[in-house]
Amino acid sequence: ANLKMSHVRPQDATIDVELRAFADTVAQATGGDVTIEIFPASALGDYTTVQERISVGAIDMATQPAATGADRQMQISSFPYLAGNWDQARAVYGPGGVVRDTMAELYAKQDITMLAAYPVYFGGISLNVDNPNPGSTDPNGIKVRVPGIKSFQLTAQALGYIPSPIPFSEAFTAVQTGVVDGVIGSGAEGYYASFRDVTKTYIPANTHFEVWYMIASNESLAGLDDDDKAALMAAAEEFEATRWTVAEADQAKNEQKLADLGATIAPLTDEQLAAMAAKVRAEVWPEVLKDVGEEWGQAILDKVASAE
Amino acid sequence: MDRFAKYLLTALICIVALGQFVQVITRYVLEIPVMGLEETMLYPTLWLYILGAVNASRENSHIRANVLEIFLSTRLQHIVLAILGEIISLIVGFWLLYWAWDFTRYSWRVWKESPTLYIPTFYSDVALVVGLALMMAYTAMHLWRHIRSLGGAEDAA
Amino acid sequence: MIEVALIAIAVLVLFLTLGVPLPYCFGGALMVMYYLGDTIMKGNMLWGFQQLGNPVLLAIPLFVLAGTIMSESGIAASLLRFVNAFIGHVRGGLGVVAAVSCAIIGAISGSGLTGIAAIGPLLIPEMEKRGYPREYATALIANSSILGLLIPPSVTMIVYGWVTDTSILACFLATLGPGLLIMVNFSLMNLWMSRKFDLVLDEKPALGDLASEVAKRGFNATPALLMPVIILGGIYGGIMTPTEAAAVAVIYAVPVGFLIYKGLKWENFLSAGKEAATAVGAIMLMILFSMILSQMFVMESIPQKLVGSIFEITDNKVILLILINILLFLVGMVVNDVTAIILIAPLLLPLMNAIGVSPVQFAAIMGVNTAMGGVTPPYASILYLGARIGKVKVTKVIPPAMVLIVTGYVPVVFLTSLWPDLSLYLPRLFGY
Ligand code: NA
Ligand code: NA
Repeated sequence: ANLKMSHVRPQDATIDVELRAFADTVAQATGGDVTIEIFPASALGDYTTVQERISVGAIDMATQPAATGADRQMQISSFPYLAGNWDQARAVYGPGGVVRDTMAELYAKQDITMLAAYPVYFGGISLNVDNPNPGSTDPNGIKVRVPGIKSFQLTAQALGYIPSPIPFSEAFTAVQTGVVDGVIGSGAEGYYASFRDVTKTYIPANTHFEVWYMIASNESLAGLDDDDKAALMAAAEEFEATRWTVAEADQAKNEQKLADLGATIAPLTDEQLAAMAAKVRAEVWPEVLKDVGEEWGQAILDKVASAE
Repeated sequence: MDRFAKYLLTALICIVALGQFVQVITRYVLEIPVMGLEETMLYPTLWLYILGAVNASRENSHIRANVLEIFLSTRLQHIVLAILGEIISLIVGFWLLYWAWDFTRYSWRVWKESPTLYIPTFYSDVALVVGLALMMAYTAMHLWRHIRSLGGAEDAA
Repeated sequence: MIEVALIAIAVLVLFLTLGVPLPYCFGGALMVMYYLGDTIMKGNMLWGFQQLGNPVLLAIPLFVLAGTIMSESGIAASLLRFVNAFIGHVRGGLGVVAAVSCAIIGAISGSGLTGIAAIGPLLIPEMEKRGYPREYATALIANSSILGLLIPPSVTMIVYGWVTDTSILACFLATLGPGLLIMVNFSLMNLWMSRKFDLVLDEKPALGDLASEVAKRGFNATPALLMPVIILGGIYGGIMTPTEAAAVAVIYAVPVGFLIYKGLKWENFLSAGKEAATAVGAIMLMILFSMILSQMFVMESIPQKLVGSIFEITDNKVILLILINILLFLVGMVVNDVTAIILIAPLLLPLMNAIGVSPVQFAAIMGVNTAMGGVTPPYASILYLGARIGKVKVTKVIPPAMVLIVTGYVPVVFLTSLWPDLSLYLPRLFGY
């Protein structure tokens, strides 16, 4: 079978290279039965649409963020300040982690199989201006573009910024002309990919843990014979395991790339990070919990707390 | 009907323009964000597009290339060409309508919501099937009108 | 698969030729892909409809509405009188007024129709009265009207930036250079051609009179002249996105039209709203289906295959660019500007990347070619509208129009392709 796989980054980006390697592994393991054709740069549409098209079986696979439109509980994946460091992230989002398992269940409801989690980075703030107090959460009058996702808008506000919901397609230009002064909702890798020319300051505030998922349409998987399917699953498992070993270094590399282009990487102390986390947990979590179902969400948060 | 179309379409386009305007004012002048305004504006915007297209069908003012028409001289030839055009429109249109219906059923089943205010997207998704159905109705009317004028044209020719 | 894609395009062109409304022409091509190829429709309506939700596209109806309000309200007329104060008395000056006014109106309107719709009814009778042949006046204004698509903002550049993921602001600037060059070309052509006309001229005003007349008309035109300042200043000054600027243009033009120039009345305001919505609805539905078609092409890797087969013919950059201009000229003969961009830009962009033409320069190439398509028969919407407004037979307008196209337009088209700085200088200046 020839499977079409979408992802959101340009050709030759890290994930593109990794996915091509994955495709080679699958082709070899299945003796050429399963070939995977990679469509980079959202050529098959943005991730929200792609997820829906995977759900109906129109596209086979993707590696991308979770879209929350069809199920708001999927917001649990990008809950702000859920993990504080890489070890915690691995415990929560890695194999056997509570968020990972929860997401697999939620995907299953949409006729989608989650094959792997793909840890990307801890989120930060990219500014085209200076921020004299990068560690403070007091209102600073800096306008930032936020994606149209409630938790990001509330997080930006809690951290002292003025959130402005500008569509992604207009975001770069908006920062460049000064309609907004920066962007929240991505991390060093994302900012390097899309905003590197307008990033003067990068604040590694660990706003959220960005994790993407390799997902496949149940319909497409049903079309594979058992051996091929097992080989695909095994390759995905290996793909994820490898990624967990390089993700942290990859994040550091991308921060360095921003610095090499002249961006200031604002240093934050552990206390400052803890204060940010505390404020966001107090102000944003209750709001988002209301949306996803307080009982359901709290149960997961409890499990996260015990895992850490 | 024409008055109704005027009021409806002008109201829709003005609502959409005002929404964008408010966005600029709140961001640039007042410096306070309006959460969810953008996703709310999506609903009148999509209805504006679709009802605009329906009105184009009603007025028979869809963009047409009409290259062949320039080379035809008699009224009969023009009517036959118009009939052919409407028949093709109907065949293709019903096929598209079927897929729009498929999309509507999907949208009903999944009941997606907008990201911050959780407004069901079905309310804009349904515009497509409604719009195409109305367009088919108007296209059929135009076809009927052309067929009836066929008699007159033969007399004249 | 590439054969099926070619059949789909052939059916598209056939339906176009038969006069089938554009959305169904694309629908027909979809049916070919679906029944003859092995592409699926499942999930495609969903995809296409979500594309329409992109706020970038919203700029289209808003710029169209702003343009319609301008021509109804007297805003355009006051601009025209202002420009006329400078050069109206010079031999052939009135023709220059037409070109320059269309360029200024182009800085407010995003479409190629506003110029002829706003200027035509005023200037065509006036030019005829002064001794210009009516069909020449009509052809000149219709051709200049295209500047609406080349002087930013521009609907075609919005669509190009959207389908190719290129900065819309950079695309705007890319067509500005070629647009101004065309304006100058038309002005010079007009001065040269006017020698043969038997023109009635105003007496040369004394310098003092001229200054006071310019001041008077300038004062009157100030609210109108502020419009491009607000739109372009707002966009490039970091106050608003292009879509928001289009909305601000509408919000600004309504009270100015109602209260200051008073040309706008409740009745024609309602008509303007309906006209803009209808024009845009027809375009949007076509965009919906053409996006689905191009998505089918992407899924079948048609663009890459196409590039491969083109390279088998030649990989000489200059020859390829000339061939592409010829192709775009032919496409422009049968389809309108937005259609041409949606259809061609994603197909040819990989080829442009391969031969080292930047997406921004390609924006300018697409921009000037598709704009010219508006006046090249057989499908020449802007020229036909001009003929209707000027009350002349289409066949009478075509000869003078062709002279202007060949002398004023075609050289710029080739310059844009072969001289990158013409389109890239301004975007670079602004840091794109
Ligand atoms: Na323009
Ligand atoms: Na044409």
